[in-house]
Amino acid sequence: MKKIKIFQTLIIGLLLATVVSCTKKTASNESVLNLAVSSKVKGMDPIYSNDRYSSNEVARVYEGLLEYHYLKRPYTLKPNLADGMPTVSADGLTYTFQIKKGVMFHDDAAFTNGKGRELVAEDFVYSIKRLADPKLQGLGYWLLDGKIIGLDEWRAKYAELPKADYTDEVAGLKATGKYTLQFKLKKSFPQFLYSLAMPFTFAVAKEVVEKYGEEFLNHPVGTGPFLLPRFEQSNKITYTKNKAFREKKYPCDGSPELKAQGYMADCGKILPLTDKIVVNIIVESQPRWLNFQKGKVEYISVPKDNFEAAIPDAKNLDPKFVEKGVRLSVTPSLDVTYTAYNHDKKLFNNVKLRQAMSLAYNVEESNKLFYNNTAMPAQSVVPPGIAGHIPNYKNPYRGSGTPANIEAAKKLLAEAGYPNGEGLPEISYDCPSSTTSRQTGEFFKKQMAQIGIKINVITNPWPELQKKITNRNVDLYGIAWGADYPDAENFLQLLYGPNRSPGANGSGYNNPEFNKLFASSATMQDSPERTALYEKMYRIAAEEMPWIYGVHRQSYTVVNGWLKNYMSTDFEAGQGSYLRIDLDQKKKLLEKF
Amino acid sequence: MNIWAYIIRRLLYVIPVLLGVCLIIFVLFNLVSPDPTLIMLGKHASVSQMEDLRRELGLDRPWFLQYLDVVKSAFTFDFGRSWSTKQEIIEMIKAGAIPSLTLSIPAFVISTFLSISISLFVAFFRGTILDRTIVFLCVTMMSISSLAYILFGQWFFAFKLGLFEISGYEFGFPYFIPYVILPVLIWVMLGIGPDVRFYRTIILDEIYQDYVRTARAKGLSENKIMFKHVLKNAMIPIITYVIIQIPFLILGALLLETFFSIPGLGGIVLSAINSSDFPVVKAMTILISVAYIIFSVLTDVMYTLVDPRVRLK
Repeated sequence: MKKIKIFQTLIIGLLLATVVSCTKKTASNESVLNLAVSSKVKGMDPIYSNDRYSSNEVARVYEGLLEYHYLKRPYTLKPNLADGMPTVSADGLTYTFQIKKGVMFHDDAAFTNGKGRELVAEDFVYSIKRLADPKLQGLGYWLLDGKIIGLDEWRAKYAELPKADYTDEVAGLKATGKYTLQFKLKKSFPQFLYSLAMPFTFAVAKEVVEKYGEEFLNHPVGTGPFLLPRFEQSNKITYTKNKAFREKKYPCDGSPELKAQGYMADCGKILPLTDKIVVNIIVESQPRWLNFQKGKVEYISVPKDNFEAAIPDAKNLDPKFVEKGVRLSVTPSLDVTYTAYNHDKKLFNNVKLRQAMSLAYNVEESNKLFYNNTAMPAQSVVPPGIAGHIPNYKNPYRGSGTPANIEAAKKLLAEAGYPNGEGLPEISYDCPSSTTSRQTGEFFKKQMAQIGIKINVITNPWPELQKKITNRNVDLYGIAWGADYPDAENFLQLLYGPNRSPGANGSGYNNPEFNKLFASSATMQDSPERTALYEKMYRIAAEEMPWIYGVHRQSYTVVNGWLKNYMSTDFEAGQGSYLRIDLDQKKKLLEKF
Repeated sequence: MNIWAYIIRRLLYVIPVLLGVCLIIFVLFNLVSPDPTLIMLGKHASVSQMEDLRRELGLDRPWFLQYLDVVKSAFTFDFGRSWSTKQEIIEMIKAGAIPSLTLSIPAFVISTFLSISISLFVAFFRGTILDRTIVFLCVTMMSISSLAYILFGQWFFAFKLGLFEISGYEFGFPYFIPYVILPVLIWVMLGIGPDVRFYRTIILDEIYQDYVRTARAKGLSENKIMFKHVLKNAMIPIITYVIIQIPFLILGALLLETFFSIPGLGGIVLSAINSSDFPVVKAMTILISVAYIIFSVLTDVMYTLVDPRVRLK
């Protein structure tokens, strides 16, 4: 018996010793930014970075002509690899950029002697042609589709041929000098500049693409602040600081509110502010949350299931987190959730029916149930924080579950020709198959039952739901849209008739008045006149109720006290270089963990 | 019959089976699965871009040519690149198989060894309160959702007690060890309930056979009866059960891998299914089918080794 005990002790001791000794250690004086992301990263080729996870990773290594000012809200573009903002011709069709001189690509065997060469205007011509290359099928071509003179034709020409010829000139995309780049647009498209801040259009070097061929996506070589010698699809990506990075400084100007919050303490410091970035891919929320609580990752968005534990009153952090120096960052997201009607079905051409259903839907309750009361009920299609949203506008057909709402909804339903729901067929509600989506569906069903409308909730795997929407094989479906760039056009286009599915307008809403306003605003530069048009469309979208609006979500992020300069943003690409770890503070705070 | 002739003949069955597997996955993918171009292009898909992409992926070609491609890749093991990640599939599988196997092999070996030992033990004490208690415990353990084991184990042992890493993985020996101990333990816990019940039933079936009574009548000790006679005769169903699980070990355990951030094949397959990444789903289905056939042949060969009465025909 004694022998067995000794044996047991030995085994347990050995196991523990292995656990302790096998863990890889990092030098304590190294400034390492530990991040946690919830989705796999596909690869590091800018032209395939169509989700926020890939685009954030791409933007650590690659850079574009423009970027969002780190400390300005509303979001403002500023030059990055461009030497100043472009000059725009009077007709708004020609954009001329000067490229910064002396910007070097990372060292790589693809270059002569393995030394990175200087970035030139021709690199952007090449990179944008890659995005348009029909053989590569880059996922961001929608950005430029129909915009640049000659580019669509170039793409169409090589779709039929075995290989695209990059020396074949495109009239609207030219390097007119070593450092001068010119875009000529087919028609005025003021949102064009946002495309140049998106990782799809970031600069890659031809030599590297040609050397690695199909493996290029695993050999990221850009001009950016961090290096990644080789990308491997794994649970962890480790970047090191690019010591040869050009002199780029932390901004000294910005929005007054951010200045007041102390975001300018690092003004003038050379970027990046960390030696290393470790991106941990942690798909499930529990391990992400536990790792954060152990101080192993710098910040995470508060998981839904842990929300009450972290923020009991939905406003302030629980004191036990505050004691550890954790702070809460709350930022409205540029998004909207909604339940769309399939406007191809005659039934939903009845405005009164749509209004009645919206009034019967208790958005306040859904906010409590599904968003811990942290979201903002949407009044129309454009979220707050961008021009086109009308603050304090109250949609008359928004319901909050009051008896008056239900009565008004019943009245509208009767006017629509379906008193107490009589004569209405059972309406299907399609949603993704996640638990929360299914619960949202059941909640919707309960709300509609109050006015006598029968709903059948159908859950679908995400691809299946997309297929059904495209094939117009739905009645109602629950979905959300996040901004690609901070312009109301990106939301209003969801209701623009000609964009119907498989375009972005999945509901197939088609209102000639709305379409006309949209077409007029689409060519206008940012101006009070354009905002007025946006607001008109906002009101139409509110009164016509082409969708039942849900909420605009807010991001609740918990941040460890030693991480400086962090704020949650919808456009995270490039943020890593501005973040700083206060190592002394980290040491002190970790003692409390 | 010569054992080699048998093996070769059985392995030749791989050909029609693979053709059938190819046909099934091809039909399922083309009839049931949503349009991959829509998923790949995401929220900005347009008709013309979808058409372009279909052409580039070869989805606009006649169906029999597409089927031939599937068959070709099944026999050459050249699966090409993933549609979704653009990574080379064979490399993805190689990279994912290692973490999956570092998790599944120890878990499988430990749980098989433990389960067989426990079942021999309870069979020895069959009908007593000890036997009933253990069976009751097994049923209880089986009734608890696997997610509960994972959530609790991770929270209590890794977070509260700090005995293990919460999640993550390091490639290379011995760095992966701290990351797999807890998931391996959970896997073992998950397997013990059903396995002990299964093995116990098999062993009990043997215990009531005539030859056991004969052995007892001869005056053999219970230990000798259990280990020499009963266990040997119970080996055939046990071997079948154990070996046929081996091909699936490469897939790891999906839930354990996602909760512990182990970059294994389970996660790769799941994301391939979610993104209609046909080449990856195809590659995995084919590989698992081939492995299944090989291991079933191996099972047959093992029968002859443990039981000389079995003859291969």
